[in-house]
Parts: sequence; structure tokens; C-alpha cells
Amino acid sequence: MPKALPPIIRIAKYTLADEVRQKSFIVMFVICALFIFLIRGCFQGNVTVNGQALDTGTVIRSVSKLTFHVIAAGVMFVAALLSMRVFKRDRDDGMQSCILSKPIARWQYVAGKMLGLWVLSIASMFILHSIVFLITSVNLKVVMPEYLIASLLCSFNLLFVAIAVLLLSLLMPDIVAFLCVMGIGIVSFVADGISAISHSQMVPAMMQQPGSPSGLTGWKVVYYLWPKLSGTQQLASSFIGSEEFHGFGSIYPLINVLIYCLILGSLLLRRFRNEDIT
Amino acid sequence: MIELNTVTKRYDSLAAVDNVSFSVKTGEYFALLGPNGAGKTTIVKMLLDFTRPTSGSLSLNGLPSTHAACRTSVGYLAENLHIPPYLSGWQYLERCAELLDIIRSDAVDQCKRIVELIGMQGREYSKVNTYSKGMIQRFGLGAALMGNPKLLILDEPTAGLDPIGIREIRQLLELLKHQGMTIFLNSHLLSEVEKICDTAAIINRGKLLVKDAISTLVKDGDALEDVFVRFVKG
Repeated sequence: MPKALPPIIRIAKYTLADEVRQKSFIVMFVICALFIFLIRGCFQGNVTVNGQALDTGTVIRSVSKLTFHVIAAGVMFVAALLSMRVFKRDRDDGMQSCILSKPIARWQYVAGKMLGLWVLSIASMFILHSIVFLITSVNLKVVMPEYLIASLLCSFNLLFVAIAVLLLSLLMPDIVAFLCVMGIGIVSFVADGISAISHSQMVPAMMQQPGSPSGLTGWKVVYYLWPKLSGTQQLASSFIGSEEFHGFGSIYPLINVLIYCLILGSLLLRRFRNEDIT
Repeated sequence: MIELNTVTKRYDSLAAVDNVSFSVKTGEYFALLGPNGAGKTTIVKMLLDFTRPTSGSLSLNGLPSTHAACRTSVGYLAENLHIPPYLSGWQYLERCAELLDIIRSDAVDQCKRIVELIGMQGREYSKVNTYSKGMIQRFGLGAALMGNPKLLILDEPTAGLDPIGIREIRQLLELLKHQGMTIFLNSHLLSEVEKICDTAAIINRGKLLVKDAISTLVKDGDALEDVFVRFVKG
């Protein structure tokens, strides 16, 4: 007889089932899928840059990359929305006390919740990215297996978002936790955008004044220590179209996000250990 | 089976439980009595490690209450029980069985037996949001009985039940008593407690006033209610 699944997997399974049942999740997922179907015409558009028409392959890769970023950012938003009410819903529905009155440790409960949310977010993102993959493969005959690898690499961002929202939802109102994590994400994207502009060849030449400070400034330290959600997404998307690999600098955002996941995960477990169960 | 050793729980300056010590032996049918806000539910929550004591220690099945393993063979029914409204009573029982690591075939058998025991045949597949409070309470009791626990912790098990429901629950608890189950009961229904419990403890404002056998507490011509009022009013 097969033994029942270990507690973490079981709790993850319930989390998945309970979240998928939410109408808001279904609506958001359908909207995302519709968006992808609606933009499928863009893959076949005629694009002219500086008077020169781009070849179909370049257009497909560019639009696919753009879609990749939109989906990844959109699913991060959905993951934060799903995570923000997980503990509250479990408390209100009596599932938290039901689970923790059994011989199940608190860390197993929290780990199960994290795993469930992560798996659900990965699955959602992978399905949406797979739709793009299928459109380009079947309709346009451009097969990009690296698109799916990039999708999986991007999943660490979702883990960060889920853990951060879960942790903050224990310390502040759910909506504030959601907004804080979204704020962290937005700052990461904006900072990377500003950094990209400042590293372009033209801007420093225009902006540089004699005697301006160079080297490691306080802002740079904050920039490098800030959760690199945008950087991880860039790293993942660099697989699409086989961009140049820049050594450690390229994988730093991924390492940064993984370290944040570990730190926030341990803080979440520690915080939940002292939480009163009602 | 249950041991409280100089347990205190403070919420800021308020002592919800103040230096309480007592024990409940295996096979004992124990009632914890007290007015609203006396600290009964806080004691139950500390036993299940839902909240930690400010000082003192609690143990269940010989293990500190902070160890998850101490809750093996323990069934619990919460005071204001909630069940996810999108589940059916059957699905809820199945989840509880799965959480207790009961294999699928045994779980189905146990669910069937429990549905019969709590008198909910014919309604087990309806969604919980169609149940009355009493029906939810019955499924909660059913879930507490899942896995044949040796110790049952019941926080106001008859809350929301009509007189017939109360009587049925009492009969069920008497049956469990004869099967040798240890029961820790938090209740306001003194007449029910008097009929079925072996021992009782009375607490007020977090302090333990008395713990003794019901037969010793209730003298000839008295009722448990009189004893309770006498102790609480000092």
C-alpha cells in the first residue's frame, strides 16, 4: 500500500488546490492567456529600423523576448497577490489550527505553503511561456527550446516574491505586504534601467563633468545589494537568442535572489515559530 | 498524559493563566471549568503549542508541548470551529486523515465509520457552506476522532448544538470513555460535565481554584453548578 505523502508535500498540495479554486486566480490566468493570443499577430509584423526591414527571425526573437518579460513580471504580480492572503485565509478557514493540531511541525507547515505557492506560480508562468513557445514553433516555425529554460530560471524570482510576501504578511496588513514587495520589484527594474542608461556610451560622455566622483558610492552598494529581480529576468532572457555570457557578472543577480530567498525563508520560519495560532 | 507545571501566560500586564499546575492521567475524563475569560482556551492553546507560555512547562504524552510528536494520537476540536466552505464534510475528513498519514483505503473506511458515528449520513458530500453550526461542530468532532486518538481535547464541543445534538454528543463521549479514551473537556455546560466527567478543575482569572474528583467536589444535595458558583464567587 502506498504510504501517504510527507506533510510538506500534502500541505503544498492543499495550497495549490485551494488557490486554483479562487475565482480571482482563474480570471487573472485567463486574462494573461488572452493577452498572449491577442499579440500573436505581432510576431509576423514588418518592422523597419533606420530604413532597413528586419528579418522575420529577428522580429520573432525580439517580440518573444518582450513577451517573456511581460509574462514574467505579470506572474510575479499574480504570485504576490496569491501569497498575501494565504496565512489569513488558512486562519479564517480553520485549516491552520487543523493542520497544526496534528503531529506536524510549524516549519513543515510554512515550507508546504511556500512550496505550494512556488509550484503554482512556476506552473502558471511555464504554461504562459509555453503558449508563446507553441505559437512561434507551430505557426512561425521558429523553435526556441531556450525559451522554456529561461522560464524555469526566472522561477527563482517567484520564490523570492512568495517568501517575501508571506513574511511581510505576518508583520503588517496583507495589502501593505503586497505593495512593499511590488515596490521592491519596481525599484529593481527602475534601478537596472537607470544603470543600463548610465552605462551606455553616450550618456556618461554627455553627463560627465570634471571632478565628478567615481568608484564605489553608497548608491552603488545599495544598487548591488538590492534584490536583483530585474537582473535575474535579464539573465534568463539572455538565453533567448543566445546573448554573450559575461561570467560571474551575469549570474550575480541569480545568486543575489537565491541568497535573499534563503535569508527571508529563515526569517519567515523564525517569525512563524512565535506566531500565535487562532 | 497531560502535565502542566507552574504555567503562566501573560499578555502584556494581564495574566491569562497564572502559575497553574495540574495533571490528567491516562483514561481520565477531565473537565476544565471556569467563567468566560478565565483562561481555559489559553490552556488548551498552550497544550497544542498554538501559543507559548510566558513561564512554566506543559507536556503531552510525556513529551514537551513544543514537540510536534507529542500531538500523535491527539484529537482536537476547536471552540469556534471553521471548515473551508468550499470543501464537503467528507473532503474535510479525508484531508484530516491524509494529514495523519493514514493510507487511502483505511482513510475511506474511517471516514465512513465517523460519518455514521456523528450521524451525518446523507449530508457528507454537501458543501460545508450549506451546513448549520451544529453540523459543522459534528464534523469537527468527527475530524478529532480521525486516527483513533488516545487523547481527545475538546473546547466547548456542544457549542451551537440543539438539546438533541447535545445529548447525542454526550452519548458519543460516554461511548468513547468506555473505550478507554482520555478526554480533556472545556465546557460551560455544567450539567453535562457532571453527568460524564470523572474529575474537574475550576479556574478563574487565570488561577486554579480547585482540582478534584467530581464525586468529591459535589456533596449530597448539591449540584456541580452550586460548587462552581461557590468557588468562582469566592
